[in-house]
Amino acid sequence: MKKRLFSGLLIAAMVSVLFAGCGSKPDSTQGGGTEGGGSEPVEISFYTTETGKDDYFQDLIRDFESKNEGITVEYIAAGDDQLQAWMALYSSNEGPTVSLMDPINIYENQERMLDLTGQAMLDNVKEESLSTLTFDGKVYGVPMSAAGIGILYNKAVCDAAVGGDFDPSTIKTRSDLQALFEKIEATGAAGTCITGVNWSIGSHYLCQTYGAAIGSVEERVAYVNSIIAGEKKEIDNDVFNGYMETFDLLARYNINKADPLVGDVNVDAAALAAGECGTWLMGDWAWTYLAALVDENAEFGLLPIPHSDDESDIVNQSISTSYAKGYCIDTSQNTEAQQAAGLKFIEYMSSDSYAQEQTAIVCGQALPFKNFAFGDKLSPLGQSTAEYMAAGLATDFYGTPNLYPSDIWYECGAYMCEYLSGACDRETLASKIDGYWGNQEAR
Amino acid sequence: MNKQAVKKAKKIAQFAGFGLPATFIWVTVVILPFIYGIWITLTDWNGLALDIHYVGFANYKSVFTDPTFLSSFVKTVIYAAFTVAASNIIGFLLALAVTGGIKGQGLFRAGFFTPNIIGGIILGYIWNFIFSYAITGFGKAIGVEWMSTSWLTHPTRALIALILVSSWQMSGYLMVIYIAGLTNVPAELIEAAKVDGATGWQAVQKVKIPCIRNTIAICVFLSISRTFMSFDMNLSLTAGGPYKSTELIAYKIYQTAFTSMEFGKGQAQAIVLFVIVAVISLLQVYFTRKGAENT
Repeated sequence: MKKRLFSGLLIAAMVSVLFAGCGSKPDSTQGGGTEGGGSEPVEISFYTTETGKDDYFQDLIRDFESKNEGITVEYIAAGDDQLQAWMALYSSNEGPTVSLMDPINIYENQERMLDLTGQAMLDNVKEESLSTLTFDGKVYGVPMSAAGIGILYNKAVCDAAVGGDFDPSTIKTRSDLQALFEKIEATGAAGTCITGVNWSIGSHYLCQTYGAAIGSVEERVAYVNSIIAGEKKEIDNDVFNGYMETFDLLARYNINKADPLVGDVNVDAAALAAGECGTWLMGDWAWTYLAALVDENAEFGLLPIPHSDDESDIVNQSISTSYAKGYCIDTSQNTEAQQAAGLKFIEYMSSDSYAQEQTAIVCGQALPFKNFAFGDKLSPLGQSTAEYMAAGLATDFYGTPNLYPSDIWYECGAYMCEYLSGACDRETLASKIDGYWGNQEAR
Repeated sequence: MNKQAVKKAKKIAQFAGFGLPATFIWVTVVILPFIYGIWITLTDWNGLALDIHYVGFANYKSVFTDPTFLSSFVKTVIYAAFTVAASNIIGFLLALAVTGGIKGQGLFRAGFFTPNIIGGIILGYIWNFIFSYAITGFGKAIGVEWMSTSWLTHPTRALIALILVSSWQMSGYLMVIYIAGLTNVPAELIEAAKVDGATGWQAVQKVKIPCIRNTIAICVFLSISRTFMSFDMNLSLTAGGPYKSTELIAYKIYQTAFTSMEFGKGQAQAIVLFVIVAVISLLQVYFTRKGAENT
């Protein structure tokens, strides 16, 4: 009898634990309904897709919490599965209060996001950087940094090649670039390096063909829409062909041309750092890989990617700057108090002196904030980007948030890899890209 | 209360105690998400949008008219055919070797099974390094051209690499099942065959293989279903590359849902994969039963 009673109790306990576990979660939105956070404790979460910077973010979160009593921030870092993890959080009704996402992800989920238009903190953000995060006149995000895309150069190698002090502003046309590669090859180093991975050549390179060389943002959108509608073909476009001519040039002098799709950023960074190649098609974020490999006094910088031989074309002398990550605030699963705390967090990340200094040191990229005063702490590549921006020689990579679909790097990246490997010609590549756009909705 | 009612109440209480928790978990973890998944296939949901629109069977239509999905399906069939054949042959031969009474066979068993414990993601990254750098380094050192470039940058060689590594991983797992089958073959049958003058191979061919027909059916169908659902190795070894030439179905589904953010279409592709694997599993059950009836 005792045994039966014990078994019964055990079963009852198991069932109740099971149901308790499946029950609704306790209300974690403390301080709900209070505007501005006030003195009520507020818990918010911060989801970042900027990988490999956990210590940096956690350090800033500690500093933010110490400066904003009552607000605690749960840190959630994405791995390679940034969208999957974001979807999982939303599906479990735990959408992050603040997310650091790609503009296209924010755009596609703008109905969940807080309209930041008119917020005081935007006064500190440079206007040109907000275009990527503005939809229908409403601002939905604050950029984290400005990433420069171009051709990195090792100044020591280029100095040896030109027989003196290499001046990057002398590279104004494709022919200038070819002449530089030839001179570099004459020294025994490879002219350049292409990392044969889809995100680099499929997103960063291919998307230049829809960039400033086409014209204004409206003209860029109109061109993409004409491809989507099937009214125009890539192969007939001078800008596309111009950039592909330059790509062919890069491929000819590529240090990896024997096996162009091996694609390892660390190996290629080591090649540039060691002077095995003089230049590298990449962006200023590559300092993350280069920093540990280069001598303290070694000089590196960015070159534009020329698409033609017209030296009067300002685009040939400009680099693309990408506001690739933006902070946004969720309204669908976070209370007003959490949203207010989220605003404080973004304001801290974009304008606090310590946060800016740490961002400059750790990320090394130029920051699009008016009160930014740590330009000397940027990486050499970040400083190069900042110089182009200051000189007005920077064009907006995105222009508008939804110009490039979220899978362009994967789908068109595969076509570009195929082209780089020599498995297809330019006409086939262009027709595949036309086919890709044909499945997209008008922008 | 009569005796029957007491008995019935007792039965209900017993089910509530033992069967209900498991049923509850099964329904909430398997059945409800499955039904929800089918509903998603009828929508244009991107995985996050608040507004979901009903699109009927458009996603299924697009699955069967999408050349990239059909291409992934063909690649998966090729991958499955070679991997299933190779892993079963190797697994069976390994099982034969480690059940033959050789010295240190326990150690060999553990060694051959180890790749299965490590996990596809880690194995994929290890072999990625081997194919991209170790073999190419060796090839360059000895001056052999075909070894000097990475296997993973050529479509055919990348698929072969995927088949080799998957077979190597799965053969250890199948070996364990084959060992279980082989150790159940009555020793007197083998002794009788030997007395009748059968060679070692004849004993395997005429006695052991017929006796483990069920085991073979289980291993073959298990490996087919596993290869059709292969994802982790595909992700870490080739990531579908070069230029999507090794994009198997499961990886394609992942990309459709999470990279292209076409959740409805990705889920419809997943349902198609589910049907394929379900048919394979049902065939396994059928052939296993048929084998049991014939023995």
